[in-house]
Amino acid sequence: MDLEEYRTIFAVTSLLLTLIVAAPIISMLIPIPTQTERFSELWILGPNRMAENYPFNVRVGEEYQVFVGVGNHVGSSSYYMVYVKFRNQTQPLPNLSNSTPSSLPPLYEFQFFITDGGTWEAPLTFTFLEVSGLEYSCLVHRLMINDAVFSMDSPSKWDPENEGFYYQLFFELWLYDVTSRSFQFHNRFVGIWLNVTGS
Amino acid sequence: MFLSACRSFLIFALLFPLALSVFPLEAYAANPEEATLAIERAEDIVFSCYQVVLEAESAGGDVSVLLARLNDAAVLLAQARVSYGIGDFDGAARSADLCYETGVEVRLEARGLRRLAMEEATQRFRWMMIGSIVGVTIIVCASLVGWLMFKRYYYRRILEMKPEVVSSGS
Repeated sequence: MDLEEYRTIFAVTSLLLTLIVAAPIISMLIPIPTQTERFSELWILGPNRMAENYPFNVRVGEEYQVFVGVGNHVGSSSYYMVYVKFRNQTQPLPNLSNSTPSSLPPLYEFQFFITDGGTWEAPLTFTFLEVSGLEYSCLVHRLMINDAVFSMDSPSKWDPENEGFYYQLFFELWLYDVTSRSFQFHNRFVGIWLNVTGS
Repeated sequence: MFLSACRSFLIFALLFPLALSVFPLEAYAANPEEATLAIERAEDIVFSCYQVVLEAESAGGDVSVLLARLNDAAVLLAQARVSYGIGDFDGAARSADLCYETGVEVRLEARGLRRLAMEEATQRFRWMMIGSIVGVTIIVCASLVGWLMFKRYYYRRILEMKPEVVSSGS
């Protein structure tokens, strides 16, 4: 090996060592973009906090419980809101293809903060307090969610195919946007179907 | 009779202030406008708290405790909005006011944490910068000295070599 080759080895080794020593400061000055996907999770669990035994055939006056949960993977602590909405089979759901929430008014809501990588879970109990009809059509007048009573007149026609009066209790996830200083629909929703069967 | 009445009055006079301190008489008779204002005020404080918490977090501060407290405010705010939705304006105003009070405390703590986190980040950056400069200088100097020593050793070794006549082999 001649002197020129030795000199190259010395120069490369010195450069590498310099880069290693200066790496922390370089990474602070030049942020390295990460390739991780940023997203949020939204789920509903049954009364035993498992993905089973969801309420389905519901009776007037009986109390039912589900758990709603959210996971934060957006890269920073986030401020979320979950809207609880109630619809019959003909009323609109959120449109995920153009990121628009359901036009139905929310009945109940949760607001909470989650650190990055953290999760949040809360129980939701509901009771159909007043329902009329139950022959050819059904009308829900009052629904209680977590001790708050909501008055409405939500009709549902008999579904001959599935044999029931079907309603859906669904949850929309909203995320607080610091720039606009408002909550934005986060393009996530989950729901459970309920067949109202009388008292 | 008179003594008994005096004793009753005395007991009442002693216990009434105590009862007031335990069960404060808070009269909430809010109308929709007042409830709306209270909710807007509560929303503003929660939003500004979150902003400060985010700044503290990006400066490297541990915000988990603050977020847990801010969650209490968020629960109250949601409660206020739900109460408002069902026409319970008193409940809405009460929850919103509690949310505001919690928010004020959290904002104060969040500002403290943000200042601390920023100071620590500046300090960390300064030490890292000094460490890097010193490290790079040492490496550059050591490389130069090492190279010069190696070059001297290399030439000495070359000069100490004895030339040999190699026969062509024919």
